[in-house]
Amino acid sequence: MPDRATSYEELTPGYKFPSTTFELSASFVSKYLKAVDSEGDGFVPPLAITAYAIAATTKSVPLPPDTIAIHASQELEFFKTVPIGDTIECHIGVLQKISRGKMSMLILELEVFDKGKEKVQSGKATIALPA
Amino acid sequence: MLTEIQEGKVFDPVVKHITQENINLYAEASGDFNPIHIDESFAAKTPIGGTIAHGMLSLAYVSEMMTSAFGQNWLSEGKLRAKFKEPARPGDTLTINGKITCLEQRDDVSYANCSFECLNQKGEMIVTGETTVKFSSDSK
Repeated sequence: MPDRATSYEELTPGYKFPSTTFELSASFVSKYLKAVDSEGDGFVPPLAITAYAIAATTKSVPLPPDTIAIHASQELEFFKTVPIGDTIECHIGVLQKISRGKMSMLILELEVFDKGKEKVQSGKATIALPA
Repeated sequence: MLTEIQEGKVFDPVVKHITQENINLYAEASGDFNPIHIDESFAAKTPIGGTIAHGMLSLAYVSEMMTSAFGQNWLSEGKLRAKFKEPARPGDTLTINGKITCLEQRDDVSYANCSFECLNQKGEMIVTGETTVKFSSDSK
């Protein structure tokens, strides 16, 4: 987890969130599979990794009270599977911030690596936030 | 897994019922405790009018359909582009449909380009998008 909160104003193109590392434990995978009502296949579901990476980053950004953040779109590319128990490293940065009236569209770029520093997945998430 | 990879091939649909319990479990698993997903009194006061499922929860169902169709090829070499059109809410039943729209060959590698849509029980589009999967020509 990042050790400090990021202010919303800091979220400008080029900003890099502090990287996060996470062990994809059997209990994490089991909880995820239960939540998505799915059976496992021996690997960590790639979208479990994405979900963790996005949540770990976005919760470090304190939003004004009574405001909401909405996931508007998602792009992903998978490069390899990750066995249960592996540790991943997530890197997320701000690619674009677009103001549209009272809303901002924050486009985040995501890269996840395994413990051997091989890329596991990359992608872009567009989050709609209050401007 | 698909026994034949050909244009127009329709995948087995995935049907899931969304409950607040699923959403809460997903919040715990992912660590995404945004109140719009889990705090019913907060969500009721927003323009959305109630709690909604995480977009990534709906995408997990898309990934389940793609894994059923392509197995390891999807998990290790898949690509996805998705747009969240409407929120999925507790009580909704989501149906995820998909098919192969075209096959292509680039640098001696075969790709299946697919489309998908996730609809609720009213027929409203919740998520739409495209996927691409690399596969061995032997599996055609």
